[in-house]
Amino acid sequence: MAHRDDLIRELEDKADKIRQNCFDIFASTQMGHVGGTMSLIEIITAMYFHHIKFDPKNFDWPERDRVVLSKAHCCEVIYAALVELGVYPRETLKTYYCFGSPFQGHADRWCTPGIDFSGGSLGQGLSFAAGMAYAEKLKTAMNPPGIEQGFLPRYIIRYNPVYRTYAILGDGECQEGQTWEAAMFASKYKLDNLIAIVDYNKFSLDGPTNDILPIEPFAKKWEAFGWWVTEIDGHDMRQIVDALDLTSRLYGDNKPKCIIAHTVKGYGITNWEAAHMHLGRGEHVMKGVQEGRKKYGKVE
Amino acid sequence: MVKWNKYVQIENKPQMVAAGVEKAMIAAAQKNPKVIAVLEDMGFPGIGWFTKNVPLQMVEVGIAEQNGAGVAAGLAAEGFIPVINSFVFAALGRAYNQVRQSILVDRFNVKIIGREGVWGETGISHNTVEGVASARVLPNLVILNPSDAVEAEKATEAMMQYIGPVLLRQESSPPSIRIFADDYPFDIGKAFFLKDGKDAAIIATGYMLTEAVRAMDLFEKEGLDVALVNMCTLKPLDKEAIIRAAQMTGAIVTAENASIIGGLGEGVAAILAENYPVPLERVGVDDEFSQSGKITPEKDELKEHFRLDAKDLVAAVKKCIAKKEKLAKNRK
Repeated sequence: MAHRDDLIRELEDKADKIRQNCFDIFASTQMGHVGGTMSLIEIITAMYFHHIKFDPKNFDWPERDRVVLSKAHCCEVIYAALVELGVYPRETLKTYYCFGSPFQGHADRWCTPGIDFSGGSLGQGLSFAAGMAYAEKLKTAMNPPGIEQGFLPRYIIRYNPVYRTYAILGDGECQEGQTWEAAMFASKYKLDNLIAIVDYNKFSLDGPTNDILPIEPFAKKWEAFGWWVTEIDGHDMRQIVDALDLTSRLYGDNKPKCIIAHTVKGYGITNWEAAHMHLGRGEHVMKGVQEGRKKYGKVE
Repeated sequence: MVKWNKYVQIENKPQMVAAGVEKAMIAAAQKNPKVIAVLEDMGFPGIGWFTKNVPLQMVEVGIAEQNGAGVAAGLAAEGFIPVINSFVFAALGRAYNQVRQSILVDRFNVKIIGREGVWGETGISHNTVEGVASARVLPNLVILNPSDAVEAEKATEAMMQYIGPVLLRQESSPPSIRIFADDYPFDIGKAFFLKDGKDAAIIATGYMLTEAVRAMDLFEKEGLDVALVNMCTLKPLDKEAIIRAAQMTGAIVTAENASIIGGLGEGVAAILAENYPVPLERVGVDDEFSQSGKITPEKDELKEHFRLDAKDLVAAVKKCIAKKEKLAKNRK
């Protein structure tokens, strides 16, 4: 099922807006996890503006899809999306890193309504997401009488889960053993309502991910753990949208899904790409922001 | 005869704390389908009952405690009440950062039952003593350490009613004696005076309350009037009760089947130093790992080695009273 060209174009424009929001965040602090944020832009845009169930006016909606950002240092991109969705006013972008701000340095469920997972310590997101996905299965399986409305929605015949859980992982954090514990768990309990999206930008803080501790053969690993796997270009909007929609249609195959999105760290910005920059500071950030604002400014 | 509080009913028969936990856990799971047993290949209190009656309320995560903590947090985020059961070194120690980041940061309603203490044949890996100290520094976590089966049942019931993360420390070896009556009032965060006194006060937790109760007979023989306080909640500590005990006696001895570094003893010391300084003695494990040891009614090698016997409590109390008297003399 091919998507209309205008949908793809719309999403691409949206992605540019999200980028602009990210630049505002970086500019306000002259600091940020620029590399991993830029590599995630298209994926997050496709999720929040096309694929997932999310109500900006009611982000505690019990049936919303859960988004677990395991690489929570790149929360800037989620903040940018939440602002674009109107959940937070635009001025909030400038409060990033500030005391008492909903936009904390790492994603925090408690401080930022609309975010499902407090991360930062890498490798924990997939377990949490698996717990949420298991809970969805459990709620439907239990279905006992006498339990309050909302906790266990009654679905007699289900072609869709009540909600899906999306875990967004970094490639570096797949070096954590816990990720693979969670992978085994998800496959044991047939969590076909769980979708892991790996932002495979090939670099972590110390250098190339596959030099530091090789994760390859990556897709084969997920397959061996009992997952359905697909590999896409994580900056090609059409491929992202197609892959996401396909995971939904595959529901019922008893397999958790993994989308390996090949991306570029610091995508779109010359010196960020060249430096594979993880955490940028000062001039490096501001130079990139200037370039990016000019390059992606056509939308405003 | 020792004059006990009316809620104390001592029977010198061995009793497992685990029995109380099991009873309350079954009752909680029966009452509330949201209670989910998270198994880490270490069994579960009442596992036979669970398997037979509520198989859906069990999830086996295997020997993967870090993932177990994360899955429990995810379940709690969706309104379930997951209960993890393992050793403290595994459920908390192995998954320390997972408990901190995935569970405590958001104050998810996850319960952890962890076995710990110096005793047992299992040796250095399993007979850990550092759990209380490592857990006390974690915000949002309540720590309970019941001392007999009656209290264990009430503590587990209270834990399941409380909304928020709780660590229930279960000292399973050696068995305690029965100490409390069936109508013993239990409250999270409240210490309990088993007996008032004027010469010194013992503040004990977990199994060491059994040794403290035994020590009371020895004090009686020696003509010492020693108060006995049970501190089941190790966090938050009952500050008022500690100050009251200090005011009542002027000499405090703490007793714990755990490291005295960062444990009950240090907690009490801090409260006393800040509010009502009196001489203090800490009985417990002093900066040492445990090991295997035989426990028979005649001889308990570990109790002897770590000096956790009623006799050692008596010695500590005497030492503390001597400190108190010396201090009084110096003041004059």
